[in-house]
Amino acid sequence: MITFSNTIKRYPNGFEALRGVTLTVEKGEMVAITGHSGAGKSTLLKLAAGIELASQGSVLVSNQNLSHIKAAGLAVLRQNLGLVFQDHKLLFDRSVFENVSLPLSIAAFPRTEVGKRVRAALDKVGLLNREKANPITLSGGEQQRLCIARAIVNRPAILIADEPTGNLDQAYAATIVDLFKSFNQVGVTVLLSTHDEVGLARLNCRRIHLDQGKISA
Amino acid sequence: MISSWFSAHIQAAEHALKRLAATPVATMLSVLVIGVAIMLPLGLYSVFSNITAAASRLNTEPNINVYLQVAASDKDAKETEKLLEAMPNAADVRFISREVALSEMKRVASMVDLLTGLESNPLPHAFLIKPRSAEPVTLEAMRKEISALPKIDVVVMDFEWAKKLQRFATFAERIVALLGLVLGLAVMFVTGNTIRLQILTQKDEIEVSSLIGATRHFIRRPFLYYGACQGFLAGVVAILAMTGFIWWASAEVHALTISYGADFSIQYFSLKQALAVVGVGAALGWLGGFLSVSLYLRAHQAH
Repeated sequence: MITFSNTIKRYPNGFEALRGVTLTVEKGEMVAITGHSGAGKSTLLKLAAGIELASQGSVLVSNQNLSHIKAAGLAVLRQNLGLVFQDHKLLFDRSVFENVSLPLSIAAFPRTEVGKRVRAALDKVGLLNREKANPITLSGGEQQRLCIARAIVNRPAILIADEPTGNLDQAYAATIVDLFKSFNQVGVTVLLSTHDEVGLARLNCRRIHLDQGKISA
Repeated sequence: MISSWFSAHIQAAEHALKRLAATPVATMLSVLVIGVAIMLPLGLYSVFSNITAAASRLNTEPNINVYLQVAASDKDAKETEKLLEAMPNAADVRFISREVALSEMKRVASMVDLLTGLESNPLPHAFLIKPRSAEPVTLEAMRKEISALPKIDVVVMDFEWAKKLQRFATFAERIVALLGLVLGLAVMFVTGNTIRLQILTQKDEIEVSSLIGATRHFIRRPFLYYGACQGFLAGVVAILAMTGFIWWASAEVHALTISYGADFSIQYFSLKQALAVVGVGAALGWLGGFLSVSLYLRAHQAH
């Protein structure tokens, strides 16, 4: 499903964030990327989402080489990915409902279906009663959950999450971890990064540890 | 498939209208700026189309006046008439004798005193010729041929000034077309610039949409509608303003032409013309939006 083959990511200033990473995430598998800050976790996830391109080696997602994919093809691929960003990337001039409905609008879902799916996603993350609120009025944890709702609303085949429990307290972090486990149990491939040991124990999945851009365990 | 495409367009149009309504002052200013840019070529078009209409009412039928030398006799006139009638391009040749010319002149009150003091008729025999072909080359050849005949003094083509006016009107039309093109580009760039500013306020939305799978078409679409709406509204403003101006000026222009013995009124824009202006405004706005978003996406979306 996701394959990194001897992948190197070198930034224009010469810094190598990833140094020859080889990794395969099978369909329906859940993999947690761990490591210290600056180990290359976020870079690896960005490469998997096609946000960054590999400098050397290759990244294949659903058998498509992201180094050679065209803009239109990448857009279609991303419509089948659920992305949870560390900085949430919410739109503060739109309501909670409108933020979550954005991927469905992009995929041209009918309006009736949009309403159903958005409310189902908001219900899953416990934000159903805040659908009309502006995201700026939400707490950090709620914004994180809103970001997750947007990622799952179009029922993606792959969920990529960068520190999904980073801004949450223990109770909510456990809820979110359970949520990811439930997605994985219904066949969604999950690739996430975290340094939350409690969450990792609860996830009970394959771990990949990155150290200075290399897989160390 | 078609319904989702249609629904995507409706959604983009709604989004654009909401954006326009959310910033009414900025929208009004942009529409006025674009409207003024449309008004300039529209005003020139109105002026020159009215000149063209006036010119088309003038008699531009080619008539050739041939004046014989004063010394030419009646016999000379008869011989010249035969030669003129034999010309292949002469459709009709009318002889105006010096006596007829004098009596016609005497009918003009202001000329009576002048003519009664004369001992002899100073006017020459003349011919009025209607040519078959009005082709400039043919007429010029005919003029040369007539001038070369014996006893001919002057050959005058009295329609030339009207032809010149028509040529001026045609030239003016081209100038208007050129100005229209230049100002059309200006409209496109003004709209493009307005949209560029709009893009800057929505760059987060563009980035997020792109990250979660929006195609370039999806990102571009609301801005295209935004530009088209602005161009449409600017076209309406330009038409209304020009119609108001024509209404304001027409009474004075009519009174002025009446005082010169003519009956001329400024023409208003027809419904077809008004729709064309609004349509062109919308199209230019759409193009401005396309240009602006495409440049932004090219600069900001390497992948």
